[in-house]
Amino acid sequence: MSVRVDEPATGALPSRVSLAVVRVGVALLWIQNAAWKVPPDFGESGGGGLYHFTRFAVDRPVWGPYAWLVENVVLPNFVFFGWVTLLVEASLGAFLLVGLATRLWALVGVGQSLVITLSVLNAPHEWHWSYYLMILAHLALFATAAGRHFGVDAVLRPALRGRAGAGARLLARLT
Amino acid sequence: MTRPDRAVVALGVAALLSTVFALSPGGHLPYDFLQLRGAGLVVVTAIGILAVAGGLLRSRIVVLIAGAAFLGAAVVQLLQAGRDTNWLEGNGSTLSLLLGLGVGLLVTGLVPREHNGTRQEG
Repeated sequence: MSVRVDEPATGALPSRVSLAVVRVGVALLWIQNAAWKVPPDFGESGGGGLYHFTRFAVDRPVWGPYAWLVENVVLPNFVFFGWVTLLVEASLGAFLLVGLATRLWALVGVGQSLVITLSVLNAPHEWHWSYYLMILAHLALFATAAGRHFGVDAVLRPALRGRAGAGARLLARLT
Repeated sequence: MTRPDRAVVALGVAALLSTVFALSPGGHLPYDFLQLRGAGLVVVTAIGILAVAGGLLRSRIVVLIAGAAFLGAAVVQLLQAGRDTNWLEGNGSTLSLLLGLGVGLLVTGLVPREHNGTRQEG
């Protein structure tokens, strides 16, 4: 029997299981952290919760333009951005958990991880590699289209086969 | 059993497995990934059983009902998170779980079924 070296590793069962574990693990990261984004004021009145961490972007700025944006746009409209944060992070947990539109949500996860990085990278007692690893984990989910392994994307994609519409083509790219 | 039916059963089982977090004492423990208690625990268990049944019976209507029920519960949790009135006794983490199970079941319920033996993409 000859050694086979040209097959993609992601086709093997251990790799597929590993990718599913990483996807669900990253989903649990967002699910757990959606818990402390608490409406209706998201910590604004008491200076705690999400408001406390968002203020680090201004008090200990990482990047000037982002600090300006937070100070002049986000903090004056904090409740609105609190709801956006809760919805985005709860959706990240939801869609990555079941593996639906995984590539789209992996990119959203990269974006949200960047926002968090720009907010708290210089905050005290933070480990900078936490945020770098969050970005890298989402890039890995995107690159491997992790929802195709034990995710709803694996159920959805065969139904898209042969469809000619722009919606089907877009959905095929996002899964 | 077709792949969508297996996926439905898996989602139902995932819902039932998530009830293990009801055993958590709460707070901000490192392994306390999800808040599930009280009426929320009952809802997730009941709809999870319904989803498993829908998958095993290959009943798309049951699957769609289960998906819509999870999505409805997610909307209730979204509107009541952080409020004094919180029927499901959950928070953003509960919302995330309910949303995922709801959209997952609705999509798998709506996907056209292929007959057994038909090759499906891996």
